[in-house]
Amino acid sequence: MLAQHYLRYRDDLAAQGIIFAFTGYVSERILYSLGEALKQKMALDDTDNNVIKRVFSVFVEQVQNIIRYSADRVGGSPGEPGTELSSGMVLVGMEGERFFVVCGNVINRDDVPRLQSHLEHLAGMDHEALKAYYKQQLRAPSEEDSKGANLGLIEIARRASEPVEFDFTEVGDEQSFFCLKAYI
Amino acid sequence: MSTPTATGRIAREATERSPHVDFDLDRRRLLLEGESYPEDAAAFFGPLVASLRRLVAELDGEAMTMELHLVYFNSSTAKALMNMFLLLEEAARQGNEVVIKWHYHSDDEAMEEFGQEFAEDFEHVAFQLCRID
Repeated sequence: MLAQHYLRYRDDLAAQGIIFAFTGYVSERILYSLGEALKQKMALDDTDNNVIKRVFSVFVEQVQNIIRYSADRVGGSPGEPGTELSSGMVLVGMEGERFFVVCGNVINRDDVPRLQSHLEHLAGMDHEALKAYYKQQLRAPSEEDSKGANLGLIEIARRASEPVEFDFTEVGDEQSFFCLKAYI
Repeated sequence: MSTPTATGRIAREATERSPHVDFDLDRRRLLLEGESYPEDAAAFFGPLVASLRRLVAELDGEAMTMELHLVYFNSSTAKALMNMFLLLEEAARQGNEVVIKWHYHSDDEAMEEFGQEFAEDFEHVAFQLCRID
Protein backbone atom coordinates (compact mmCIF):
# COMPACT_ATOMS: atom_id res chain seq x y z
CA MET A 1 0.00 0.00 0.00
CA LEU A 2 2.68 2.42 1.01
CA ALA A 3 4.76 1.91 -2.09
CA GLN A 4 1.70 1.89 -4.33
CA HIS A 5 0.44 5.10 -2.83
CA TYR A 6 3.66 6.99 -3.39
CA LEU A 7 4.34 5.37 -6.73
CA ARG A 8 0.99 6.66 -7.92
CA TYR A 9 1.92 10.10 -6.62
CA ARG A 10 5.24 9.94 -8.46
CA ASP A 11 3.63 8.63 -11.67
CA ASP A 12 1.06 11.41 -11.52
CA LEU A 13 3.83 13.97 -11.57
CA ALA A 14 5.72 12.13 -14.30
CA ALA A 15 2.57 11.99 -16.45
CA GLN A 16 2.50 15.80 -16.34
CA GLY A 17 6.10 15.94 -17.46
CA ILE A 18 7.37 17.00 -14.05
CA ILE A 19 11.04 16.25 -13.62
CA PHE A 20 11.50 18.05 -10.39
CA ALA A 21 9.07 18.95 -7.60
CA PHE A 22 9.45 20.60 -4.26
CA THR A 23 6.72 21.47 -1.82
CA GLY A 24 7.07 22.69 1.72
CA TYR A 25 9.17 25.28 3.45
CA VAL A 26 11.88 26.95 1.40
CA SER A 27 14.81 29.06 2.46
CA GLU A 28 17.57 30.75 0.49
CA ARG A 29 19.80 27.74 1.21
CA ILE A 30 17.25 25.36 -0.22
CA LEU A 31 16.92 27.63 -3.26
CA TYR A 32 20.66 27.35 -3.82
CA SER A 33 20.73 23.55 -3.47
CA LEU A 34 17.69 22.96 -5.65
CA GLY A 35 19.07 25.36 -8.25
CA GLU A 36 22.38 23.50 -8.37
CA ALA A 37 20.63 20.14 -8.77
CA LEU A 38 18.45 21.58 -11.51
CA LYS A 39 21.41 22.98 -13.47
CA GLN A 40 23.32 19.72 -13.06
CA LYS A 41 20.41 17.62 -14.28
CA MET A 42 19.85 19.81 -17.32
CA ALA A 43 23.56 19.76 -18.14
CA LEU A 44 23.63 15.94 -17.89
CA ASP A 45 20.74 15.85 -20.36
CA ASP A 46 22.80 17.94 -22.79
CA THR A 47 20.44 20.88 -22.55
CA ASP A 48 21.63 23.96 -24.41
CA ASN A 49 23.54 26.28 -22.08
CA ASN A 50 21.40 29.28 -22.85
CA VAL A 51 18.23 27.29 -22.11
CA ILE A 52 19.72 26.15 -18.78
CA LYS A 53 20.38 29.76 -17.88
CA ARG A 54 16.87 30.87 -18.82
CA VAL A 55 15.24 28.06 -16.82
CA PHE A 56 17.55 28.77 -13.88
CA SER A 57 16.76 32.48 -14.01
CA VAL A 58 12.99 31.87 -13.98
CA PHE A 59 13.45 29.33 -11.19
CA VAL A 60 15.43 31.76 -9.01
CA GLU A 61 12.94 34.61 -9.46
CA GLN A 62 9.99 32.33 -8.70
CA VAL A 63 11.53 30.80 -5.59
CA GLN A 64 12.69 34.19 -4.32
CA ASN A 65 9.12 35.41 -4.75
CA ILE A 66 7.92 32.52 -2.57
CA ILE A 67 10.58 33.29 0.01
CA ARG A 68 9.65 36.97 0.11
CA TYR A 69 5.89 36.92 -0.38
CA SER A 70 4.42 33.63 0.81
CA ALA A 71 1.87 34.44 3.48
CA ASP A 72 2.56 31.05 5.08
CA ARG A 73 5.82 31.50 6.94
CA VAL A 74 7.39 30.37 10.18
CA GLY A 75 10.28 31.39 12.37
CA GLY A 76 12.44 34.36 11.63
CA SER A 77 14.17 36.70 14.01
CA PRO A 78 14.18 40.40 13.29
CA GLY A 79 17.54 41.50 11.92
CA GLU A 80 18.59 37.95 11.11
CA PRO A 81 17.95 37.34 7.44
CA GLY A 82 17.70 33.73 6.40
CA THR A 83 16.19 32.46 9.65
CA GLU A 84 12.66 32.49 8.27
CA LEU A 85 11.01 29.71 6.27
CA SER A 86 8.32 30.36 3.67
CA SER A 87 5.97 27.72 2.40
CA GLY A 88 5.35 27.13 -1.26
CA MET A 89 5.81 24.75 -4.15
CA VAL A 90 7.98 24.77 -7.21
CA LEU A 91 7.88 22.34 -10.13
CA VAL A 92 10.05 22.08 -13.21
CA GLY A 93 8.92 19.95 -16.11
CA MET A 94 8.92 19.44 -19.84
CA GLU A 95 6.11 19.54 -22.34
CA GLY A 96 7.34 18.42 -25.72
CA GLU A 97 10.63 20.23 -26.23
CA ARG A 98 9.93 23.02 -23.81
CA PHE A 99 10.72 23.40 -20.15
CA PHE A 100 8.24 24.97 -17.80
CA VAL A 101 8.52 26.23 -14.24
CA VAL A 102 5.47 26.39 -11.96
CA CYS A 103 5.37 27.96 -8.54
CA GLY A 104 2.58 28.29 -6.04
CA ASN A 105 2.16 29.88 -2.67
CA VAL A 106 -0.44 31.34 -0.38
CA ILE A 107 -0.84 35.13 -0.34
CA ASN A 108 -3.12 37.54 1.50
CA ARG A 109 -6.32 38.00 -0.45
CA ASP A 110 -5.91 41.79 -0.28
CA ASP A 111 -2.81 41.45 -2.45
CA VAL A 112 -4.61 39.57 -5.25
CA PRO A 113 -6.00 42.54 -7.26
CA ARG A 114 -2.65 44.31 -7.48
CA LEU A 115 -0.76 41.16 -8.43
CA GLN A 116 -3.43 40.13 -10.91
CA SER A 117 -3.46 43.47 -12.72
CA HIS A 118 0.34 43.50 -12.84
CA LEU A 119 0.43 40.00 -14.36
CA GLU A 120 -2.34 40.82 -16.84
CA HIS A 121 -0.41 43.89 -17.87
CA LEU A 122 2.71 41.75 -18.47
CA ALA A 123 0.75 39.05 -20.33
CA GLY A 124 -0.42 41.66 -22.84
CA MET A 125 3.12 42.74 -23.73
CA ASP A 126 5.32 41.44 -26.52
CA HIS A 127 9.08 40.98 -26.23
CA GLU A 128 9.91 44.59 -27.12
CA ALA A 129 7.31 46.03 -24.75
CA LEU A 130 8.59 43.83 -21.92
CA LYS A 131 12.12 45.02 -22.60
CA ALA A 132 11.05 48.67 -22.48
CA TYR A 133 9.03 48.09 -19.30
CA TYR A 134 11.92 46.24 -17.67
CA LYS A 135 14.25 49.13 -18.41
CA GLN A 136 11.78 51.63 -17.04
CA GLN A 137 11.32 49.64 -13.81
CA LEU A 138 15.06 49.19 -13.46
CA ARG A 139 15.44 52.97 -13.24
CA ALA A 140 12.37 53.51 -11.07
CA PRO A 141 13.01 54.14 -7.37
CA SER A 142 12.31 50.99 -5.34
CA GLU A 143 8.89 50.81 -3.75
CA GLU A 144 9.18 50.40 -0.02
CA ASP A 145 7.07 47.28 0.25
CA SER A 146 7.79 45.66 -3.08
CA LYS A 147 11.25 44.23 -2.35
CA GLY A 148 11.80 44.13 -6.09
CA ALA A 149 8.92 41.83 -7.04
CA ASN A 150 7.87 43.89 -10.04
CA LEU A 151 11.23 43.45 -11.67
CA GLY A 152 11.31 39.73 -10.84
CA LEU A 153 7.99 39.11 -12.58
CA ILE A 154 9.10 41.10 -15.63
CA GLU A 155 12.30 39.06 -15.73
CA ILE A 156 10.23 35.84 -15.68
CA ALA A 157 7.99 37.15 -18.48
CA ARG A 158 11.03 38.11 -20.56
CA ARG A 159 12.67 34.67 -20.26
CA ALA A 160 9.39 32.90 -21.07
CA SER A 161 8.59 31.88 -24.64
CA GLU A 162 4.92 32.77 -24.32
CA PRO A 163 2.76 34.84 -21.95
CA VAL A 164 3.04 33.63 -18.37
CA GLU A 165 -0.04 31.76 -17.09
CA PHE A 166 -1.35 32.58 -13.64
CA ASP A 167 -4.33 31.85 -11.46
CA PHE A 168 -5.70 32.37 -7.95
CA THR A 169 -8.02 30.30 -5.81
CA GLU A 170 -9.42 31.15 -2.41
CA VAL A 171 -8.09 29.45 0.72
CA GLY A 172 -10.04 30.09 3.90
CA ASP A 173 -11.40 33.55 4.59
CA GLU A 174 -8.39 35.77 4.15
CA GLN A 175 -5.96 34.03 1.86
CA SER A 176 -5.64 32.89 -1.74
CA PHE A 177 -3.41 30.35 -3.41
CA PHE A 178 -1.44 31.98 -6.20
CA CYS A 179 0.01 29.93 -9.04
CA LEU A 180 2.28 30.91 -11.93
CA LYS A 181 3.47 28.87 -14.91
CA ALA A 182 6.14 29.99 -17.34
CA TYR A 183 7.22 28.10 -20.44
CA ILE A 184 10.82 28.63 -21.40
CA MET B 1 41.32 71.24 -1.49
CA SER B 2 39.85 68.90 1.08
CA THR B 3 41.37 65.51 1.77
CA PRO B 4 39.57 62.71 -0.09
CA THR B 5 37.45 60.53 2.17
CA ALA B 6 36.68 57.84 -0.37
CA THR B 7 39.86 55.80 0.05
CA GLY B 8 40.80 52.22 0.78
CA ARG B 9 39.70 48.98 -0.72
CA ILE B 10 36.70 46.69 -0.47
CA ALA B 11 37.67 43.14 -1.37
CA ARG B 12 35.36 40.15 -1.06
CA GLU B 13 35.87 36.60 -2.20
CA ALA B 14 33.20 35.14 -4.43
CA THR B 15 30.74 32.84 -2.69
CA GLU B 16 28.38 30.28 -4.20
CA ARG B 17 25.98 33.03 -5.04
CA SER B 18 27.70 36.35 -4.72
CA PRO B 19 30.38 37.77 -6.97
CA HIS B 20 34.03 38.43 -6.33
CA VAL B 21 34.35 42.12 -5.51
CA ASP B 22 37.46 44.24 -5.70
CA PHE B 23 36.78 47.92 -5.25
CA ASP B 24 40.03 49.86 -5.14
CA LEU B 25 38.94 53.37 -4.27
CA ASP B 26 42.45 54.82 -4.50
CA ARG B 27 42.86 53.61 -8.06
CA ARG B 28 39.19 54.24 -8.81
CA ARG B 29 38.61 50.75 -10.09
CA LEU B 30 35.63 48.52 -9.30
CA LEU B 31 35.53 44.88 -10.34
CA LEU B 32 32.62 42.44 -10.09
CA GLU B 33 33.09 38.87 -11.23
CA GLY B 34 30.98 35.72 -11.12
CA GLU B 35 27.38 34.91 -10.24
CA SER B 36 25.12 37.18 -8.28
CA TYR B 37 21.87 36.23 -6.60
CA PRO B 38 22.65 37.02 -2.96
CA GLU B 39 20.14 36.33 -0.24
CA ASP B 40 19.86 40.03 0.49
CA ALA B 41 20.96 42.12 -2.48
CA ALA B 42 20.45 45.40 -0.62
CA ALA B 43 22.77 44.27 2.18
CA PHE B 44 25.36 42.98 -0.28
CA PHE B 45 25.43 45.95 -2.66
CA GLY B 46 24.49 48.73 -0.22
CA PRO B 47 28.05 49.36 1.02
CA LEU B 48 29.43 49.25 -2.55
CA VAL B 49 26.87 51.76 -3.79
CA ALA B 50 27.56 54.02 -0.80
CA SER B 51 31.34 53.94 -1.38
CA LEU B 52 30.87 54.54 -5.08
CA ARG B 53 28.64 57.51 -4.34
CA ARG B 54 31.35 59.04 -2.12
CA LEU B 55 34.03 58.32 -4.69
CA VAL B 56 32.26 59.88 -7.67
CA ALA B 57 31.37 62.93 -5.56
CA GLU B 58 35.10 63.56 -5.15
CA LEU B 59 36.13 62.96 -8.75
CA ASP B 60 37.74 65.98 -10.28
CA GLY B 61 38.48 64.98 -13.82
CA GLU B 62 40.19 61.68 -12.90
CA ALA B 63 39.47 58.46 -14.75
CA MET B 64 37.32 55.76 -13.18
CA THR B 65 36.67 52.22 -14.40
CA MET B 66 34.10 49.59 -13.56
CA GLU B 67 34.73 46.09 -14.87
CA LEU B 68 32.06 43.42 -14.91
CA HIS B 69 32.60 39.73 -15.64
CA LEU B 70 29.21 38.36 -14.71
CA VAL B 71 27.75 35.04 -15.82
CA TYR B 72 24.40 35.23 -14.06
CA PHE B 73 22.57 37.76 -11.91
CA ASN B 74 19.03 38.03 -10.57
CA SER B 75 16.64 40.95 -10.81
CA SER B 76 17.60 42.44 -7.43
CA THR B 77 21.21 42.50 -8.57
CA ALA B 78 20.16 44.17 -11.84
CA LYS B 79 18.63 46.94 -9.77
CA ALA B 80 21.85 47.41 -7.81
CA LEU B 81 23.91 47.45 -11.01
CA MET B 82 21.64 50.11 -12.47
CA ASN B 83 22.07 52.24 -9.35
CA MET B 84 25.85 52.06 -9.76
CA PHE B 85 25.69 52.77 -13.50
CA LEU B 86 23.49 55.81 -12.89
CA LEU B 87 26.11 57.20 -10.47
CA LEU B 88 28.80 56.64 -13.08
CA GLU B 89 26.70 58.18 -15.84
CA GLU B 90 26.24 61.30 -13.75
CA ALA B 91 29.98 61.44 -13.01
CA ALA B 92 30.70 61.16 -16.73
CA ARG B 93 28.16 63.84 -17.54
CA GLN B 94 30.06 66.16 -15.20
CA GLY B 95 33.16 65.67 -17.28
CA ASN B 96 34.97 62.80 -15.59
CA GLU B 97 36.41 60.07 -17.73
CA VAL B 98 34.31 57.03 -16.80
CA VAL B 99 34.47 53.63 -18.47
CA ILE B 100 32.27 50.59 -17.83
CA LYS B 101 33.57 47.34 -19.33
CA TRP B 102 30.95 44.64 -19.68
CA HIS B 103 32.65 41.30 -20.35
CA TYR B 104 30.60 38.38 -21.63
CA HIS B 105 31.24 35.04 -23.31
CA SER B 106 30.39 34.91 -26.99
CA ASP B 107 27.93 32.04 -26.44
CA ASP B 108 26.14 33.69 -23.52
CA GLU B 109 22.98 35.21 -24.99
CA ALA B 110 21.60 36.55 -21.72
CA MET B 111 24.75 38.44 -20.70
CA GLU B 112 25.19 39.79 -24.22
CA GLU B 113 21.61 41.06 -24.27
CA PHE B 114 21.85 42.63 -20.81
CA GLY B 115 25.08 44.35 -21.85
CA GLN B 116 23.54 45.73 -25.02
CA GLU B 117 20.52 47.01 -23.14
CA PHE B 118 22.58 48.77 -20.52
CA ALA B 119 24.87 50.18 -23.22
CA GLU B 120 22.03 51.79 -25.18
CA ASP B 121 20.77 53.52 -22.05
CA PHE B 122 23.80 55.65 -21.31
CA GLU B 123 24.96 58.71 -23.12
CA HIS B 124 28.02 60.03 -21.30
CA VAL B 125 29.69 57.02 -19.74
CA ALA B 126 31.75 54.87 -22.14
CA PHE B 127 29.90 51.55 -21.83
CA GLN B 128 32.07 49.01 -23.63
CA LEU B 129 30.90 45.52 -24.58
CA CYS B 130 33.87 43.16 -24.37
CA ARG B 131 33.16 39.84 -26.04
CA ILE B 132 35.25 36.87 -24.90
CA ASP B 133 35.59 34.06 -27.46
